[in-house]
Amino acid sequence: MSVEVLENLRKAVVEYDGEAAASWARKAVEEKIDPISALDAMTVAIREVGDGFGKGDLWLPDLVGAADAMTSAMPIIQEEIARVGAKRESLGTIVIGTVYGDIHSIGKTMVATLLTAYGFVVNDLGINVTAENFVEGVKKYNADVLAMSSLMTTTAPEQRKVIETLKEEGLRDNVKIMIGGGAITQEFADSIGADGYGPTAAGAVKLAASLIGK
Amino acid sequence: MALKGFTRNFKPLEILTEEEVEAIHRGTLEVLWKTGVRMEHEGALRILERNGCKVDYESSRVHFPPGLVEESLRKCPSAFHVRARDPNNDVVLGGNTTYFCPFPGMQTVDLDTWEPRVATRKEFYEGVKILDALPHVHGTWNYTPYFGFEGVPSVMAIPESMAGKIRNSTKFTTEGYSNGSEVFTIQMAQAVETEVCVPCLLSPPLTYYYDAIEAALRGIEAGFPIRISEGAVYGGTAPATIAGAIISANANLIAPIVLFQLVKPGTRIFLNDFTLPQNMRTGAPDFGAIGISLHAVAFNQMWCTYGVPRCNTATIPISKRTDFQGGYEKAISALLFALSGANLILLHGGISSELSHHPVQAILDDDLAGMIGRFIQGIEVNDETLAIDLIEEVGPIPGHFLNKAHTRKWWQLEQFVPRAADRLTYPEWMKSGKKSCLDYARERMEEILATHKPTPLTPTQEEDVERILEDARKYYKERGLITEEEMATYRESMKSLEYPYG
Repeated sequence: MSVEVLENLRKAVVEYDGEAAASWARKAVEEKIDPISALDAMTVAIREVGDGFGKGDLWLPDLVGAADAMTSAMPIIQEEIARVGAKRESLGTIVIGTVYGDIHSIGKTMVATLLTAYGFVVNDLGINVTAENFVEGVKKYNADVLAMSSLMTTTAPEQRKVIETLKEEGLRDNVKIMIGGGAITQEFADSIGADGYGPTAAGAVKLAASLIGK
Repeated sequence: MALKGFTRNFKPLEILTEEEVEAIHRGTLEVLWKTGVRMEHEGALRILERNGCKVDYESSRVHFPPGLVEESLRKCPSAFHVRARDPNNDVVLGGNTTYFCPFPGMQTVDLDTWEPRVATRKEFYEGVKILDALPHVHGTWNYTPYFGFEGVPSVMAIPESMAGKIRNSTKFTTEGYSNGSEVFTIQMAQAVETEVCVPCLLSPPLTYYYDAIEAALRGIEAGFPIRISEGAVYGGTAPATIAGAIISANANLIAPIVLFQLVKPGTRIFLNDFTLPQNMRTGAPDFGAIGISLHAVAFNQMWCTYGVPRCNTATIPISKRTDFQGGYEKAISALLFALSGANLILLHGGISSELSHHPVQAILDDDLAGMIGRFIQGIEVNDETLAIDLIEEVGPIPGHFLNKAHTRKWWQLEQFVPRAADRLTYPEWMKSGKKSCLDYARERMEEILATHKPTPLTPTQEEDVERILEDARKYYKERGLITEEEMATYRESMKSLEYPYG
């Protein structure tokens, strides 16, 4: 039975069906299936979609659809993980968001989805995230990597502010920082003291892994 | 006196049937009433509520009754005058006239490697001078030609852009806003007795943040025209269907129109259509796609019906070079925009999405603007142009028309001759050293820079502009938006003897 539930959970994500994903996640909890296995089933699904995207067979709406389906089921599984005190091996913990003043979410969501697909634990703080909230997120989740996005030249300097705030809080050396977005260049990343810059979502996975030596 | 622009002398291209126009209109009214929009500006919500809109203050959601929407659309002038620094460069936006403006880029680009880099202040100013000189550039645009320049802190990019434009061009302009920068751009425009079209940059779908509304309200208070800008990426921030994206765009634009016409009836409004499909691989706006033109042609048809002046701005190619792809991406979109009733088209200088701009590209695009402009002027038909008597006079061979006064008078009126295109015969081309349009455009750029002197500001105006810039620097410095280090670099960049290169 548990195999069938997990397979249906995987299938729901691959078929972009959030309602079905949530429903199969609840079923998994009801049947006391190891929540880590449920999480793995969804990660496998996201990876399948991510691979399809990488090969050019699938497109952005597919990637976002799968990510949304997984997001629908995630709180149910996470609650169960917390309840049973389970622990999952991950490549690392990421805190990600679009900087304050900037409401562009698509690039950031693509990166978050692919990072999740390849085994990172991703905490997405959303858009319009203040420096204070980034710092709070880094502390709360004990992040290995902080990933920030900015599409506009007018909001790019906000990334410098986040780095400065991390320094003030004495946290800068505890976390690797990667940045991206339409307004960002390698030169800009160097100038504000970020650890890495990636122009594409696919490159972000390799970058995050290399920053933490994985 | 106003710049003539190009007058379209035939019916605009229409892509929708009357029934389809009606269906889109009804759909738009339904969205505005049923779905409503989110407007994060309490003052605006109060005005709208007082005038019959349904408002939920907690969610900033506002719903517009159809009657109010239609009344507000009727209050928009269908054509209006916009003052430029030189009255000869004033424009009349609306009606059958099409103007061209430059497309800005974040940076300049190296014409050999095609790699973008930050422009210097000198390059910025020279870029504006070239736009001032080109005959088919009728105004400048926000952040034109570049989004800031070397040494300028990002919060000062808009005030410095405005100063650079009014110092180096007498044509009309519009400007963006960020962190309240519209206060300074409005002051600068007033100081030099010009107008600046103040934008309301909405955030699709159906969302208006405080600054979008506040900037426009400040513009209305100053008595300036308002440019409402629709920048949806359809598939992402609007439905993937073009009909759905048009409804979405129209609803996005109409909500602030209602507000602005309530605040000041008759406010001059022109609409900026910057809608593109989403590139479903990269997530970026799909510059260069034919979907831009399909959307724009339907958009223009709808807004010709409503009688509100409109501009289409997404001509920018995705091609990273000045090349064949970039040429067709620009030409197809700009021509279709003009044929379908655009009152203004952004065209000149843009390369590689919004990444770069170059004066050489602007010079090439000026020929494109001239060709499109000539086309929409159409064909003049009267006794003289029908030339029946002349055909009778010349008769069959050995008769010809080359030696006729009619030919000398009319050929130049009928034809457009591009300035930078290679139009030589083959032997002449060999003799020229095999020059391409790019070579001619480079030569023309040097010639313009050596000879064109834009009308300078008066000493008092220059003092005022510099004072307003200094006020802006102080304002942003006090708010911690310019660091000590940035200010030091910025001040250093102003020490050149040639500063401000105006």
